[in-house]
Amino acid sequence: MSHPATTISSVKLAWALSWAAFWTGFPFKMIVALLLLAAQIHPWEGAGLIALLALSVPIDIWALGLTARTFFLERMGIEVRGPVGIGLWWQGAVLGVATLGVAYYAVGATAAVCQKATAATLELVNKIIPIPVAEQITIELLMWAVPTTIVAIIFLLIGLKLFGWRIKRFAVASGQTSSAGLQERVREWDDWRVPADPILMLVSFTAVVVLLTVAFWVLLPVTTTHRHPDYPPPPTDAVKKKVKPEELLKKTDASLAKAEAVLEMLEKEKAKEKKKPVGPGK
Amino acid sequence: MMPLLQKVYDFVDERIDLKTLEAKMMKEPIKGGSRWAYVFGSVLLFIFIMQAVTGVLLMFYYIPSADHAYASTQFIIHEVDYGWFILSYHFWGSSAMVVMVFAHMSQVFLWGAYKSPREMIWLVGLALFGIVMAFGFTGYLLPWDQRAYWATTVGVEIMDKTPIVGDFMARFLKGGPTPGQMTLSRFFVIHVMVLPGALMGLAGLHLFLFRSAGPAGPFRGTPEELKAKTDFFFPRQVWKDIVAMAAVFLTISSLALIEPVVLLEEAKPDPGDYHPEPEWYFLFLFQLLRWKIFSGELGQFLGATAIPAAFMLLLAALPFIDRGPERNIFKRPIALLSWTVVMIGILVLTVSAIINREFLD
Ligand code: HEM
Repeated sequence: MSHPATTISSVKLAWALSWAAFWTGFPFKMIVALLLLAAQIHPWEGAGLIALLALSVPIDIWALGLTARTFFLERMGIEVRGPVGIGLWWQGAVLGVATLGVAYYAVGATAAVCQKATAATLELVNKIIPIPVAEQITIELLMWAVPTTIVAIIFLLIGLKLFGWRIKRFAVASGQTSSAGLQERVREWDDWRVPADPILMLVSFTAVVVLLTVAFWVLLPVTTTHRHPDYPPPPTDAVKKKVKPEELLKKTDASLAKAEAVLEMLEKEKAKEKKKPVGPGK
Repeated sequence: MMPLLQKVYDFVDERIDLKTLEAKMMKEPIKGGSRWAYVFGSVLLFIFIMQAVTGVLLMFYYIPSADHAYASTQFIIHEVDYGWFILSYHFWGSSAMVVMVFAHMSQVFLWGAYKSPREMIWLVGLALFGIVMAFGFTGYLLPWDQRAYWATTVGVEIMDKTPIVGDFMARFLKGGPTPGQMTLSRFFVIHVMVLPGALMGLAGLHLFLFRSAGPAGPFRGTPEELKAKTDFFFPRQVWKDIVAMAAVFLTISSLALIEPVVLLEEAKPDPGDYHPEPEWYFLFLFQLLRWKIFSGELGQFLGATAIPAAFMLLLAALPFIDRGPERNIFKRPIALLSWTVVMIGILVLTVSAIINREFLD
């Protein structure tokens, strides 16, 4: 019996899943990257990169799981229960690292050979038809970049082929073809993905956006981090004295007591003056 | 729905027939279902709105005078709270607008969506394209630094080479023999009044025409298949549009944070060791002008004005020349080849211009 999963091309299957999962996870990773950037942490190096990669793992697992379930059901009529995302993700990660490692050397070697060949070719062409320097460099770039890209694509296809083969095995091993009509199941899935209560979805969506916006503005530096060389540097804040509330209170109490004493004295003096007999001439 | 919300809804509905409006806006059928390929138009609207918002904030501080333009821009960058970010967002937003216009044009071209009965949508779209480029050209002068001043000077010089109308156009834009206060005033008014007004009006017309003709839909599949997959605008297409807008917003913000705007020196009538250069999306034209065949007065006119104008005319005539009903791009070899050649041409010229700049610096 030919299982519906076996009739699909492995490459197409792996590509469809990876592509959809990539774009599903992308906005979430961008949010992380933007918050890091606002906090002056580069997401492409050091701690920023580690944070971004670490957060990307659960995002990718979730995205891969979501797209895989949908794809299995819609295109293959297979329903998989259990943790789909993690089951596929680790296989993809292992294959990805292995393919990338080999591809790195192969692509590098191709680029080196092609660069030499194009340089020689263009030198020859230039003797016959002179080409402006900048255009010459661009054409040269194109001439070695194209074959190099082709080699890179071949490795991508190999990686996808392997991943697709694993995905198929996974789907067949842990999924079940359902007797219920496919249309019915797809609709069920669709309903699950499009919430029944759009108002609730909109409200929670807005709440998350507001929260993220507030976080963004709190993190964002108020003044530019790239000052113009001619523009005077910002006034360095004079060393501020630390405020100690108790001392401040004591001080206020003391001065109040002092003021009270002075007032009392003045009142006494006034009273004395009033007691004095009214002088002549008045 | 919550009772209070329902009451508010009913109140408004009783007065303006919200239900019909909602049905018209959200229940628009999309032949063949929602697609990521259809997000570009909505993304363009979103970018425009954000440009308007950030632009208004910038106008709170910007002074369009030759004496104060540079200082007020520096003030925005260095003194105004978050001013640097708003300005940098506006700057990168303009590039995003150009990129998305190219993407949108490519999509409708490759999908054959300009064909009958959508010729008018395409023509209004071309006008919108012109407006987007004009936004870039006029906005570039406003900071009044060396880059701004010299890019405009060169741009207007090139316009001047056009026979008969060139002199008038150049003088109309400059308002005097050399770029100065008059030029700045004109560019400012065009940038903040004329173009936004024109864009809003034409985008409204564009959408009206689009809603009248209905979306073209996929270029493959039998009518029955398309009908079976037909879906409403809400919620799937709306959701895709929102995700695309969020991705664009996050990208523009990240670019503003990574590469915020830093001005050069204040504009002065001597370029010094600065090599005048336009914004990156005009670089391919600029590079074309460096070619030997385009040297000299006539050559400059040909390269900078005649060829682009002829190309735009060709695009305008396209729906009337290319009248075959076939919309599948893989069955329109000439269209596919032309698009590829134009894109590679623009890419090669732009990269060459950047390499040239590296040489000059
Ligand atoms: C500021 C610039 C523009 C805005 C805001 C805009 C907006 C839109 C929107 C919202 C749609 C609806 C569907 C979709 O997004 O695909 C659309 C469709 C369309 N636009 Fe634009 N557009 C702009 C520029 C252009 C340009 C430069 C062209 C071509 C020269 C163009 C040609 C079209 C065509 C032919 C359609 C119909 C597509 C179909 O039926 O599938 N637009 N536009």
